[in-house]
Amino acid sequence: MASSSVRIKIALAILVASVVAVGCTPGGSVSQATAPPAPAVTGVPDTGPITLTVWDQESGQVSKVWDQLNAEFEQKYPNVTIKRVNRDFGELKTLLALAMSGPHGPDVVEANQGWPDMGHLVKAGLLLPLDNYAQAYGWTSRVSPNVLRVSSWSPDGKEFGTGSLYGYTTMGEIVGVYYNKQILSELGLTVPTTFGEFEQDLEAAKQAGQIPIQFANNDAFPGIHEFATIQDQIAPTSYLTDLIFGTQRDQLSFDTPENTQAATTLQDWANKGYFTPGFGGAGYDDSVSNFANGEGLFMITGNWIVANLGADNTNFGFFPLPPADPGDPPVATGGAGFPLAIAAGSEQPDAAAAYIDWMTSDHASDLLLPTGEIPLHNGKTPTVQPGTVLADVVDAARTVSDANGVVPYEDWATPTFYDTLTSSIQELMVNRLTPDQFVQNVEADYKDFQTSRP
Amino acid sequence: MNTSSRTTVVVNYALLTICALVAIYPLVGVFLASLYPTGPGSQPSGFSLPPTFAWHNYVTAWEQGKFASSFQTSFFVAALMVPASVVLSVVAGYAFATMRFRGSQIIFWLFILGLIIPTEATIVPLYYDVKAMGLLDTSWALIILETSGEVAFGIFWMRAAFIAAPKSLLEAARIDGANSWQTLWRVMVPFARPAILTLTVLCFADSWNEFFLALVFTINKTTAPAGLASFSGRYTQDIALVSAGAVIVAIPILIVFIFFQREFLRGMLTGAVKG
Amino acid sequence: MEIRPEVVRGAVASVDARRRWTRGGRKQERLPGEARRIAYLYIAPAFILYAAFNLVPLVQGVNISFYNWDGITPGTWAGLSNYTDFFTDPLIRQGYVHVLQLMLFYAFLPIVLGLFLAALLSRIRIRGLTAFRLVLFLPLVITDVATAVAWTWVYDVNGPLSTFLRAVGLGSLVPAQGWLGSFNTALPAVGVFGLWGAFGFCLILFLAGVMKIPASLYEAARVDGANAIHEFFAVTLPGLRYELQVVLVLSLIDTLGTFDEIYVMTSGGPGTATSVPAYLVWRRMFQTSQVGSAAALGITLMLIIFAVTYAANKLMDRWGDDE
Repeated sequence: MASSSVRIKIALAILVASVVAVGCTPGGSVSQATAPPAPAVTGVPDTGPITLTVWDQESGQVSKVWDQLNAEFEQKYPNVTIKRVNRDFGELKTLLALAMSGPHGPDVVEANQGWPDMGHLVKAGLLLPLDNYAQAYGWTSRVSPNVLRVSSWSPDGKEFGTGSLYGYTTMGEIVGVYYNKQILSELGLTVPTTFGEFEQDLEAAKQAGQIPIQFANNDAFPGIHEFATIQDQIAPTSYLTDLIFGTQRDQLSFDTPENTQAATTLQDWANKGYFTPGFGGAGYDDSVSNFANGEGLFMITGNWIVANLGADNTNFGFFPLPPADPGDPPVATGGAGFPLAIAAGSEQPDAAAAYIDWMTSDHASDLLLPTGEIPLHNGKTPTVQPGTVLADVVDAARTVSDANGVVPYEDWATPTFYDTLTSSIQELMVNRLTPDQFVQNVEADYKDFQTSRP
Repeated sequence: MNTSSRTTVVVNYALLTICALVAIYPLVGVFLASLYPTGPGSQPSGFSLPPTFAWHNYVTAWEQGKFASSFQTSFFVAALMVPASVVLSVVAGYAFATMRFRGSQIIFWLFILGLIIPTEATIVPLYYDVKAMGLLDTSWALIILETSGEVAFGIFWMRAAFIAAPKSLLEAARIDGANSWQTLWRVMVPFARPAILTLTVLCFADSWNEFFLALVFTINKTTAPAGLASFSGRYTQDIALVSAGAVIVAIPILIVFIFFQREFLRGMLTGAVKG
Repeated sequence: MEIRPEVVRGAVASVDARRRWTRGGRKQERLPGEARRIAYLYIAPAFILYAAFNLVPLVQGVNISFYNWDGITPGTWAGLSNYTDFFTDPLIRQGYVHVLQLMLFYAFLPIVLGLFLAALLSRIRIRGLTAFRLVLFLPLVITDVATAVAWTWVYDVNGPLSTFLRAVGLGSLVPAQGWLGSFNTALPAVGVFGLWGAFGFCLILFLAGVMKIPASLYEAARVDGANAIHEFFAVTLPGLRYELQVVLVLSLIDTLGTFDEIYVMTSGGPGTATSVPAYLVWRRMFQTSQVGSAAALGITLMLIIFAVTYAANKLMDRWGDDE
């Protein structure tokens, strides 16, 4: 190295600079996005050419419907051009905040609900409160309060499930069990009505050399659906909802006997070989095609694969995972789908709001229904062909919703929950964690967050 | 040391060939995989040739991966970063090599320090600094950051190159009444042309291959490697398509390498291989 | 690429600059002319840019690392807790353990292989060496995002590796979850990728170095009755000391900064089986909003790199002094 005197000089310089810099606390006050005034007229303002940049994560059939809806919107408002940026789910999660902070930010985004995504964006002042638009367009009366609740935040981003509205959607989701009718009848089984029956069916399928549950977890998120679906049948619904919204701060713990039991069940199923062999390294999209091609008796996933199976398909059915006791109300993970939100940096908020209204209209939901998107409009009964997989899905959604058994997605519960849950579940399912270690791992994250909340 | 018995020669060439094959096989493999038909149900297989040569995959990959845009950004960034890095390095390296001035040692060591400071140590504050400057998601952010990272090495490199210049050259220029600026551009630069060319080539490679910075600082205006990462993340199931994307991104740097291999090798081996 | 050129040259530069400055006094060259103030003007543009975007952020980074910060709202003072996390946070420990394991593949194995092969191959004159060099350098020169994608295919359940194993009857070795999806094979798989990238460079480097060793040394050894192995340890290895030092330091440093291939091939998974410090930095910055911790991780990484560089250089010097 250089001579010691030079070294000392450099070290001193750095020390001095550090001491000077240490006085500065990083981060400043964030200007919360102010709600734009209610528009005098709804619809896109006729103020010359407008470009709306829209970020979404749709794929497959739904994506094609979006193309159509976008084209129709451009026809309706000829001065509008829609620039659509399509990214996948994982990317949208990590890159949305970055995208919205730069100079070329989007106007409308699909922002996932929950602490990791929407909560973070609200806190950073990156989303516009939509209350005035909701009033002008009548959004609040179109859907049930639950749908609005999951997109509501206090303007400083500190409270979830209350405050202003930051996202809107009229499409719903549900996670449950798809089944292959042909395989089911070949095995001499009927649709299970209790959890115990379901487990028996799994064993029967295994014995007969079928894949009981088609599953692939390389993408990490499918694991959440498997775990949550089991957990929904064991842990009380009100507990789960409170846990996710964080209404009781650190009074609630993830480390409960019910959650441990759910983890044990999931691990048992994996050890008994109920899931597709090699699920850890296989991709979700592949597993969906495999299931559609007849590999697997059951598949536990959400309404969105109706598009892959074909809405008219009568060879597949759907039911919410049955509760432990027959006669208990059905519980399932789901609720509001991906909401649309307006970026605080948008120069065309009024046009953006009109776009959101269009994408959540009855017309849009009619077009989206065949892809498996469940319309949540009050009083709207979608027309479906009975006996098809789509009919089953819509039915199940309505039944669960009527019974108030909808549990939001668990990964919404803390800013790091998606990461913690996905990796812990991956480890749980290959026996790298015991069920006890699993719940403790997850609880550490949950407690960390709840105790750090102001 | 020429114990060239036939077996030794044969064995040696065989060894080298094996090494070369191992080095090249994954690249050949991905090229072959890219020619399989895309879409569901098309499974490229490890060792057989594709049934037909689906060259069309490259067009599809180009469009789906939005490589037109990311290539444009990559070239733009390189077009500005390389000249900037080289010029700054030449000028500063010249000063270090031919002039005495107070603090030259300290300043030089500060630059050397930059060679060992990993990007990870400064990326966090840099992100917020760039954001505060309103340069997030712009090519300028990449140009500035890549240049500032490159000059540390560039200065070392050019200083070494200029020091190797015979004193007589400098003396002659002095006698001719040239000032330092003229000496630099009329005498030293022509002398150090090979070194400058090497530096240019290396700067281009660094810029083209830069991924981490592109990932952190850009999203719409992103470069080829980041575009590829995004593309491969979205189409993981379509191996043929993703492979085509990888080949597309590899081609420019491959071409530069083939044409400038001497410079590459000199740059990467010099300093380590000294008498 | 896992051996980033700038790091290669960085290590080269640091070792080389050191030699230059310390050989025979503080400065070995007498530069012509009197002290030149104009030098500052020449240096200024580069230095200002460099200081603004490398040195200043370093200090800022140190500052941020003392806070718990989500990147948005004002941070809260954390003192040294982000640094003590190095000892208490299992995720951080795990990341460093992983790069330690990767060092086997990214540094030691390529060096050993390169040395061994260079020693073997140096005994004859090789024709067409240029062509071989071209091919052997490819893994390092081509964008590592692209080569990582290529290796994702190699590791595919139906890719070349698995197909080959099945063809020779070793199909049972292919892990059920895939090479990159299985907890036990994911990290070694990334390691082999690194080995592939580095060994060509090591081989060429050592080969070039060996060819600079004077034949007289070998003859002298042979006269003393040394066989091939003795020759290697007595002549070849010491003759390559400088190259060895450079490559060792640079590859160790480079391993510590591994990021690109982790992002492309495994995203730190499955679970956290392939997480590495650089990836943790990125994650904490963007996914979990633990910005203060990310900054501390970056600074710690830098300190470790300093330590490794210093230790490796010292060790190599010690070895040289023993000669």
